[in-house]
Amino acid sequence: MKNILQDRDSLTLIGAMLGLALILGLMSMPLAMLPAPIGPAAEQFSDGALTTIKLTLVSAVIGLVLGVVTAMGKRSHVAPLRWLADFYVWVIRGTPLLLQILFFFLAVPALLQDLNIPLQISEFWTAVIALSLNVGAYNAEVIRAGINAVPHGQIEAARSLGLNPLFTFWDVVLPQAVRISLPPLANNMVALLKDSSLAYAIGVVELSMVSSRVQAESF
Amino acid sequence: MSTRTGKQIIRIENVRKAWGSFTALNGVSVTFREGEVVCIIGPSGSGKSTLLRTINRLERQDSGHIIVDGITLDDDLKSIDAVRAEVGMVFQSFNLFAHKTVLDNITLAPRRVRHWNREKAEQVALELLQRVGLAAHAHKYPAQLSGGQQQRVAIARALAMQPKIMLFDEPTSALDPEMVNEVLQVMRDLAKSGMTMLIVTHEMGFARDVADRVIFFDHGNIVEESDDPRTFFSGPQHPRAQSFLTSYSGL
Repeated sequence: MKNILQDRDSLTLIGAMLGLALILGLMSMPLAMLPAPIGPAAEQFSDGALTTIKLTLVSAVIGLVLGVVTAMGKRSHVAPLRWLADFYVWVIRGTPLLLQILFFFLAVPALLQDLNIPLQISEFWTAVIALSLNVGAYNAEVIRAGINAVPHGQIEAARSLGLNPLFTFWDVVLPQAVRISLPPLANNMVALLKDSSLAYAIGVVELSMVSSRVQAESF
Repeated sequence: MSTRTGKQIIRIENVRKAWGSFTALNGVSVTFREGEVVCIIGPSGSGKSTLLRTINRLERQDSGHIIVDGITLDDDLKSIDAVRAEVGMVFQSFNLFAHKTVLDNITLAPRRVRHWNREKAEQVALELLQRVGLAAHAHKYPAQLSGGQQQRVAIARALAMQPKIMLFDEPTSALDPEMVNEVLQVMRDLAKSGMTMLIVTHEMGFARDVADRVIFFDHGNIVEESDDPRTFFSGPQHPRAQSFLTSYSGL
């Protein structure tokens, strides 16, 4: 904990998170002062925005892990892992996100029922699954590019010191690869934030759902 | 020198390595003894670096045997990692971990591989930095250091694993003349301390002064070997060595 508090980057991150929470928590106050139809629906808007942010953040974290794992799979010496990773990226990038969301909302529950698996997934988590699988595939390519961009000498140095492949990847390759991948990863995260509005199609009450409801009520 | 009697620590038997039609090592056999300082010289592409890199398995030999400190280097990953932990390597391009401070560069492998705690690893690292004259730079990143300083950190990083053997692959080739000396001085001190060192180098003056033995490579073969570097450099026997050394003036 002491280390985290001494590190400027960590402090910035913690500050940004607190700031975001504060803005989201207090957002309904300035919104309430706006004229109708926004003012009266301020609570709805701030709840919707909160859902949008939650959807994005949770999917972003899962998508990042998926991206790293898939990038590793694509570089694996084990052929079936490579095929699996390639297939996943191919399918996700080759189909529309809306279709993926609808697939997890309509097809997957039916499949689960046929297989007698008593698993019910809420709209929110259905959207999270679809969005993180989607962003994960795009992240995989970005992170793979980052891994390829780490000079080979870094790996040789790590291996020559006796570090095994796992430590070499975790301590030497991945941190540098992520740093290189950061700008395009940020692109993907911003795209994810906007794509999260598609969750509206399956009834997740996020920001665009709220605006369409308010529009329907007031227009 | 006393190294004449040192026990054998690396044994290389009939090692071959080729990439397509290019033969880097053409059946090389050589042994190295504990405490010996061996300089390996020869033209570019003659196989010197490849030999060094097969010793810690950065290159896999096509055929032949390599035995390091009693461990036979085969495809067994455990024995490869075991050898690598005993063999330090210094590269031409330093290869310091760019995202880690000098101190973290040095402590990473001892903590992960030797399972030292942070305190012990940092204490050893600081002692080594003192030894290479860089104690004041412990918390800098590699990009903030000069080439000569980076290479000295790389030497300290390899030494932190307390290796029995140090491999140097053209450690000064990427440095300007002023920085070459600060690195060579560290290597001289290391040689005096009794470390077993295999050095691929184009620094002929250094090889003449420091080496116990000089090996001359050409076309993947050892064509000349001498236990008396001064005699070798003043009068090499093999024609290829003669023509190679005439391009170095001032020896």
